[in-house]
Amino acid sequence: MKLVVVFKAVTRNWLRSRSGLFFSFLFPVLLLLLLASVSSTPGVPGPAGLGAGYYVASVTAAFVMTNGVIGLTNVGSELRRNGVLKRLSASPLPKFEWLLGNILSQAVLALILAGVMLALGAVLFRAEYLVNFFSIAILVMGTLLFSGLGMTLAGVIKDPETASGVGNAIAFPMMLLSGTFWPISAMPAYLQSVAAVLPLTFFSEGLRDSLVVANFQIALTDLVVVTAFAVAFLLIGTATTKWSEP
Amino acid sequence: MGAPVVRVEGLVKRYGGATALDGVSFEVGKGEVFGLLGPNGAGKTTTVEILEGVRAKTAGVATVLGEDPSDLKRGRSVKRKMGVLPQDFSAFARLTVRENLEFFAGIYDSPVNVPELIGLLKLEEDSQKRFALLSGGSKQRVGVAAALVNDPEIVFLDEPTIGLDPEARRATWKVISDLKDRGKTVVLTTHYMDEAEKLSDRIGILVKGKLAVLGSPAELIGRFGGSKTIVFKNGGDAVFGTLRRFFDGATMEGQDVVLPFENLRDLDVAMGALVGRGLDSDVALRQPTLEEVFLRFAGFRMTESGDAV
Ligand SMILES: Nc1ncnc2c1ncn2[C@@H]1O[C@H](COP(=O)(O)OP(=O)(O)OP(=O)(O)O)[C@@H](O)[C@H]1O
Ligand SMILES: [Mg+2]
Repeated sequence: MKLVVVFKAVTRNWLRSRSGLFFSFLFPVLLLLLLASVSSTPGVPGPAGLGAGYYVASVTAAFVMTNGVIGLTNVGSELRRNGVLKRLSASPLPKFEWLLGNILSQAVLALILAGVMLALGAVLFRAEYLVNFFSIAILVMGTLLFSGLGMTLAGVIKDPETASGVGNAIAFPMMLLSGTFWPISAMPAYLQSVAAVLPLTFFSEGLRDSLVVANFQIALTDLVVVTAFAVAFLLIGTATTKWSEP
Repeated sequence: MGAPVVRVEGLVKRYGGATALDGVSFEVGKGEVFGLLGPNGAGKTTTVEILEGVRAKTAGVATVLGEDPSDLKRGRSVKRKMGVLPQDFSAFARLTVRENLEFFAGIYDSPVNVPELIGLLKLEEDSQKRFALLSGGSKQRVGVAAALVNDPEIVFLDEPTIGLDPEARRATWKVISDLKDRGKTVVLTTHYMDEAEKLSDRIGILVKGKLAVLGSPAELIGRFGGSKTIVFKNGGDAVFGTLRRFFDGATMEGQDVVLPFENLRDLDVAMGALVGRGLDSDVALRQPTLEEVFLRFAGFRMTESGDAV
C-alpha cells in the first residue's frame, strides 16, 4: 500500500529531526512534569480541582496542536522548497494518499504522545482517567483538525520562513489562551470571548471532559465542534496543497 | 518511426507577462535520446516540467506516450511509465539513500530491485548515509536512481551531470547510453556541448523560449558548423597583425588567432608570412563542433554553467 510507504517515510523523517522529536515528545513531557508537580504540591489545588489529570489532558491537546501547526507547516514547506513535492507530483502517487499518509503519521504520533502522558500522569501523580470512545475520538479528530491547519499554512504561504513564523504566531497564543495552563474561567471576560472561538479550546476541553471529568454531555458537544473544524481545515488543506505548478 | 513518444507542438508558456516558451515544436521517437541544449533561462526546465505533468502550459500541445500528462486520470497512467530527474533534485533529508530509494520504489506498482539500482549508480558507499549529508554529486546520482526506479519507458533528465566530477559524469553517460541500448526513450537537458553531442541522437537548441534549430549532431555540425579553421595558439597581436594583411577572415579568440581553412595554400601563405617576420606559434587544424553551431544560433558562447559570454 502506498499509504503505508508514505507513512513510514514521513514518520521516520519527522522522528529523526531534533526539533520534531523535541516538540513531539520531550517538551510536552517536561511541561507536564513541571505543571503536575506544582499542582500536586499539598495545599495547592490543581485547576478546577482536577490536579494532574487536568494537565495530562490539556498539555497533550496543546502538543497535538503544535505538532500539526508548527511541525507539519515546517516539514511541508521544507519539502516544497527542496522540490520533493514536485518530484512526487511527477510520480503516480495521488495527492490524496500523500496527505493521508502525513495525517496518519500525525495521528499515530498523537496516540503515542497521549499514551506516554497518561502513563506518566498515572505513575508519577496518581492521576485517574476514563479511556473511552469519546477520548479516543476527540484525540483523533483533534489531530485531523490541526494537521489540516498545518497543511493549509504550508500550502498557502510560499516562503518557508514566513510559514514557520506564522505557525509559531498562531500556535503559542492559542496554547496560552485555550486553557492549557490555567482554566479559561480565570481569564478576563474579553480573553474568554477570544478563547471561545479557538479550536484548541474545544479540543482541550473535550479531552479533559471525556478523559478526566467524565462529563460526556460536554464532551459530545466538543467532539461535534472539533469534527466540524477538522472537516473544514482538511478540505481547505487539501485544496491549498498544490500537486502541480502554475 | 512509429507514433512519437513525446510530441510538442506550438507549446507556449507565459509566467505572468513574461514569455518563457514561445511556440516550441519537436517530436521524440521511441528509443531516441533527445538533447535540449540552451543557456540559463532558455526554457529547458519549463519544457520538461510541462511534459512531466508538474507544470501547466499556457497553449499548444504537449503529449507523452500519446496522452496529456497534466490530465488527472490519463496523466497518472503516463506517470507510471515515466522516469523523472528534476533540476535541483532533493529527497527526504533525514532518510538514508537506501530508505529514500525504497520510498520511491514503494510508490510505483512494479519497481526494480533497489540494491541493484544502488549498484548501478555506484552508491554502495553512500547507501546508509542520510540524504542531507551527501555530496552534491551523490545527491545527483540518487536523483538519477530515483528516476529509474520504475524501469520507465521514457526518462526526463534535467541536467543529469551537473555538479559531477569527470569520472561520475562518464558513469552517468554510461547509464544513459545503456538506457538507449535497452530501447528506452530519453529527453535530457544540458549546458554541456560535449554531453549533448556524445549522447543525443538529435539535439534541439533552445534560445529565449524558441527552438532555434533541430537535428542530429553530425547534421548540425555539417550544415551550420562552418568550415575547418586554422588556430595559431597564443599568437597574440603580432601574429594577428601579420595574418590580417593576407586574410580578411582572421579573428582573435582570446590570445588565439583563428583563420578559416579553405585549402592547403592558405596554410602555406600564413606560414610563409609568419616565418618571414620571425614569428613562432603552435598551429592546429580545428574541426567545427557543436559549439560553433550554438554560437551561430544563439549569437553568443556559453560557459559550462550555462551563462552567456
Ligand atoms: N515559477 C516561475 N515564475 C516566473 N518565471 C519563471 C518561473 N520559472 C521559470 N521562470 C522564467 O522562465 C524562463 C525559463 O526558465 P527555465 O527554468 O525553464 O530555464 P532553463 O533553460 O531551465 O534555465 P537553467 O539552465 O538556468 O536551468 C526564465 O526566464 C525564468 O526566469
Ligand atoms: Mg533548468
